[in-house]
Amino acid sequence: MSDTPVLQVKGLTKHFPAPGKKTVHAVDNVSFSIEKGKTLGLVGESGCGKSTCARTVIRVYDPTAGQILLDGEDISGLSQKELLPYRKKMQMIFQDPYASLNARMTVHDIVAEPLRAHKVCKTKREESEMVNDMLAKVGLNREHANRYAHEFSGGQRQRVGIARALILKPELVICDEPISALDVSIQAQVVNMLRGFQQELGLTYLFIAHDLSMVRYVSDEVGVMYLGTLVEKCEADEIYRHPLHPYTKGLLSSIPIPNPRLAQAKEKSGLEGDLPSPINPPSGCRFHTRCPYATEKCRTVEPPLVDAGNGHMVACHAVNG
Amino acid sequence: MDASNKWERVSMDAADAERIYRKSRTFFGDVWYRFRHKPTSLLGLILVVVLLLFSCVGPFFTPYSYSEQNTKLANIPPVMTVYPGPEEGVYFYVTQALKVIEVDENGNLIRQLKKDKDDAKAKRTSFKYADGVKVYLDYSAQPNVMCDADGNRIEQGITKWNNTYLLGTDQLGRDILTRLMYGTRISLMVAFIAALVNMVIGIFYGGIAGYMGGRVDSVMMRIVDIIATIPLTLYVILIKMCLSDGMLSIIIALSSVYWVDMARVVRGEMLSLKNQEFVLAARTIGSSTRTILTKHLIPNALGPILVTVTMLIPSAIFMEAFMSFIGIGISPPMASLGTMCNDATEALRTNPYQLFLPALVICVIMFAFNFVGDGLRDALDPKLKK
Amino acid sequence: MDQKEHILEVRDLQTSFLTSTGEVKAVRGISFDIGKGESVGIVGESGSGKSVTSLSVMQLLAGTGRITGGSVKLNGEELIGKSKKEMRAIRGKQVAMIFQDPMTSLNPLLTVGDQVGEMLWAHDKNITKEDKKKRVIELFNLVRIPEPEKRYNCYPHEFSGGMRQRVMIAMALACKPDLLIADEPTTALDVSIQDQILKLMRSIQQEMGMSIMFITHDLGVVAELCSRVLVMYGGLVMEEASIFDVFENPCHPYTMGLIASIPDINQDKNKLLQPIPGSPPDMVNPPKGCPFAPRCPYACRICLEELPPVMEVAEGHKSRCWLLDKDAPAKDNPFKQRKEATT
Repeated sequence: MSDTPVLQVKGLTKHFPAPGKKTVHAVDNVSFSIEKGKTLGLVGESGCGKSTCARTVIRVYDPTAGQILLDGEDISGLSQKELLPYRKKMQMIFQDPYASLNARMTVHDIVAEPLRAHKVCKTKREESEMVNDMLAKVGLNREHANRYAHEFSGGQRQRVGIARALILKPELVICDEPISALDVSIQAQVVNMLRGFQQELGLTYLFIAHDLSMVRYVSDEVGVMYLGTLVEKCEADEIYRHPLHPYTKGLLSSIPIPNPRLAQAKEKSGLEGDLPSPINPPSGCRFHTRCPYATEKCRTVEPPLVDAGNGHMVACHAVNG
Repeated sequence: MDASNKWERVSMDAADAERIYRKSRTFFGDVWYRFRHKPTSLLGLILVVVLLLFSCVGPFFTPYSYSEQNTKLANIPPVMTVYPGPEEGVYFYVTQALKVIEVDENGNLIRQLKKDKDDAKAKRTSFKYADGVKVYLDYSAQPNVMCDADGNRIEQGITKWNNTYLLGTDQLGRDILTRLMYGTRISLMVAFIAALVNMVIGIFYGGIAGYMGGRVDSVMMRIVDIIATIPLTLYVILIKMCLSDGMLSIIIALSSVYWVDMARVVRGEMLSLKNQEFVLAARTIGSSTRTILTKHLIPNALGPILVTVTMLIPSAIFMEAFMSFIGIGISPPMASLGTMCNDATEALRTNPYQLFLPALVICVIMFAFNFVGDGLRDALDPKLKK
Repeated sequence: MDQKEHILEVRDLQTSFLTSTGEVKAVRGISFDIGKGESVGIVGESGSGKSVTSLSVMQLLAGTGRITGGSVKLNGEELIGKSKKEMRAIRGKQVAMIFQDPMTSLNPLLTVGDQVGEMLWAHDKNITKEDKKKRVIELFNLVRIPEPEKRYNCYPHEFSGGMRQRVMIAMALACKPDLLIADEPTTALDVSIQDQILKLMRSIQQEMGMSIMFITHDLGVVAELCSRVLVMYGGLVMEEASIFDVFENPCHPYTMGLIASIPDINQDKNKLLQPIPGSPPDMVNPPKGCPFAPRCPYACRICLEELPPVMEVAEGHKSRCWLLDKDAPAKDNPFKQRKEATT
C-alpha cells in the first residue's frame, strides 16, 4: 500500500448553477495525484477554479463528476456522515486569517474543535495538553490560548489556523492560498513553518496559490489551471525553466521581478486581455482568446493533457502537434 | 542610560516578539466599551434601569394598590390651587364636583368637608369646618373659589403639590402613581416575554431556513412573506379576539406574529455567515451540524439578533398599549398604560394630566429602548471596529 | 534630483486615529518630497501607515482620523487647514487618487462613461455633452480600454477587475493631475492583470509626465515602476533611497529583511527562506525606541530606548538606524562591514 498516492483525483468536475439556467464550469475534468510527503502546487488566476477544486476535494462541495481517492478509497460519493472518519485524514488551511477563525471563540477552543468533533480526548486535561503542545509548535504559548482571535496579528492567526489543521495529525493538508493575505515578511514565516511540519510529520500538501515564486519554492510538482482545466503539470523546477504552455509562459513573465534593473527594462506585459467568463467557456482550447499562437484548430478542438516527455504534461496543440 | 553599554547587543526572546500588548478584551467587552462611550445609549440604559426599578420596586413604597378606589377624592391633580382657611396652616381645595377638601400646610389631603347649606341666589355654598365654623364656596364666577373670613372671594389661590397622591388621582380616585408603576410593570413584562418568545421562534425558524438554504429556505420564507403581507396589528387583534381576556392572551397574540422580522434577520445572517471561511473550516473538520449552529453561526449572529430584540420591545409595548387603549387589552381593574390613557380620554379637557402622565411614560419607554437599540447597533457595527 | 522642483512636500506629518483601545498614532512624523515627473514608491506592511499617509495628503481621512501636526505642500500650497470646498477643487485637478478595490470604488448605478464624464464636468461646468464624450473616449483610449465607444455605455458590473481599475485610472487622469496617488492599485488583481496595469501606468507617466506616489506592500511591484522608494514601518519612514540603492545597498535591517523574505525565482529550494521573526508593532502602544527593534537581528540596547534619527548615508539615501551612527561598533554591523569591503 505504501506506493498508493495519498490523493488521487480523476476527472474531477464541478459545475455550479447560475441564474438563468446557466452553468458555471468551475472545474472541468481535472486529474492529478500526490505521493506521500510531496507537495503539489496549483496555480492560476482568480476564477480559474483552483479554490473550487480544493473545496471539492475536501468535500465541502459535492463533485459533479469524477473520483477523489484518499489513500486509494473513493470518497467522492460518500455522505457527510460517512465522510467523518476520512475528515480526520485531511484538513484544510484557509486563505483569509481573519474570516477563517470564529471571532467569538478563544484560540484554545478553535484549536480544540477538531479534537472535540472526533472525540479524541477523554478528559479536559488531555485536551488542553494537546492544544498547548500544538500551539507551542506553531510558536504560540499558553498565554495566547485564552485570547480571542481578533487580538492577534495576521501571521499569528494564520498559525492558529495551521495548528487547528494539524492537531489531528492528518495525512493530507489542503492549503488554500494560505499566504496570499499576509504581509511579505510574514509569508516567509508561514511557508517555513509549513515546510518544517511537512518534514517532521511527513505531510502531503495540496498547495494552492497565485504567487508563482512561492509555489515553486514549496512544491515538488506544479499544476497550472486555466478556466477550470489543468493546462500544464510537471516537476516544479521544470515548469519554471522550460514552460511549454503559452499561458504558463505568460504567467511567469508577469511576475514582478524584485530587481529594478531587469524589471524596468521589461516592456511588454506577459498576458494580454482578461479571463473569459466560466459560464460560457471558449470552445476548443479555453486559452485561445488570449493566446498569441492560436490557430483554427485551437478554436475548435479541446487539447488533451498529454506527456510531452519526462512526465511534463501539457494541454496545447502547438506543443503536442 | 549608561553610555558604556548602549551598544550592547540585545537578543530578542522569541516569546517577546509574539507578545500581544493589547489589553485582552472579549468581543462583548469591546461592544460594551463602545456602548458606554455613546451618551445617548448610556442614557437609554439608565432609563431602562430606572423604569425597571420604578415598576418592580416602586409598588413596595406606595401605600395604595392599583385598584383601591376613593371616589370622594377623584380627579385630584398633582398640583392643586388651594385657598387659605380660617386657621393658620389650613387650606381648602375645590374639586370639579364642587366638593371642598381640607389640605394641610404640606399638601396632604385631610378630609372632605360636609356640606351645610346652598344659597342658590348668592351662588354660594357653605361647608361645616368645625363646630360652628363655616367656610364658603363661591361659584358665582369661574373659577369657583373660596371666600375669606369676611365673605369676600379669594381670587388668588396658592399652588400646592399634592402630597397624598403625588401624581394625583383618576376619575375613580385611584392613585395614578401606583397605577403607573403597575402599568409599566405589565407593559414591560408583556414586552419582555413577547420579545423573548419571538426571539426564540425567530432564531429557530430563520436559523433553519438560512442554514438549510435551497428549497426549504424558499418555502419557509414564502410563509413568512404571506404572514407579513397582512398588517401584523390585524393579526394581533384577531388572535386577541379569539382568546379570553387577560395578560396571557396578549402575550400569545404578540408572540405569535412578531417573530417574522426576527426570522428574516436571522435567516439573512445565516446566509452570509454559512459561507464564511470559519464555517467551512468547521465543516472540513467534521464538526456536527449542532456544533456549527450553536458554536459558530448563532454566536456570530447574536449582534443583529440583539439589536432586533431591543427594537422589538418598544413595538411590543406600543402594541400592548394600543390594544389596551382600544379596549381589547388588559381588563380592568388591572392597570396598563394603554387602559390608563383610555380612561383619561373622557376627562381630557378638565384633567389633561391623567392622559399626559401615562403617555409620558410610554414615550420614555420608547426612547429608552430605541436609544439602547441604536447604541447596540452602533457598538456592534464592524465598520467602526479597528 | 535636488534641483528639480517639488510637486509635493511633506514635512513631519503626524496622523492619529481614536479607537476603543486608545489613540493609534498611525503616522508619527514623516517627511518626504516628490519631484516633478518622479514616481515614488511607499512600501510597508499593513499597519505601517502607508495608506494613512496618502489619505492625509488627500485630506480624505475617515472616521476619527485627524492630522495632528506637520505640513503638506502641493505645488507650494499648504493643504492642511484647507476647507472641504477648497480641497474639492484641488482634488482631481492637482492631485488624484486610485484605490485598491476597483469593485467598490465605482458607482454600480451609473455607466462608466458617465462616471468619468462627471469628473470632467466637476472641474469644468461649461463642458458640452459632445466634448465630454469625446474626452472620455480619449481617456479610455489612453488607458487601453478596447472598443471605447461601445464601452462608454457599459455599467461597472460588466467590467472585469482589471478593466475597472483602468476606468479608475481614466477617472483619475481626467483633469490631468500633477500628482497621482495610487493606493495598492494592483493588490486585488491577478499577476497577469497587475502586470498589465503596471505597464500601463509606466507608459502613461512617460506620456503625461505627471508624478506618481505608489503605495504597495510588494517590493517587486515597486521595482517595476518607481525611481525612488520610501520604506515605512511603524508609522515612520525607515529608509529612503533610489530604487537601485534599496535593492543593491539597503541600509536598514528591515529593508534587508524584506528583500530576503521574497523568494527569488532561482532560490535554492532546500534552503529555508529568511523571514523576519515576530509580528508588526501594535500602534496603540508603539515601542519606545526604534519600532523595528523587537524584530531586528542587530538590535542594541540603545535601539530599544531611543528612536534613531534620520541619517544620511549618501546623497538622497537616508535611513533611520542606530547601526549607521558614527559611534556604532563595527562588529556584526552589516553596514560598516559593507563599507570596509568597498573601500
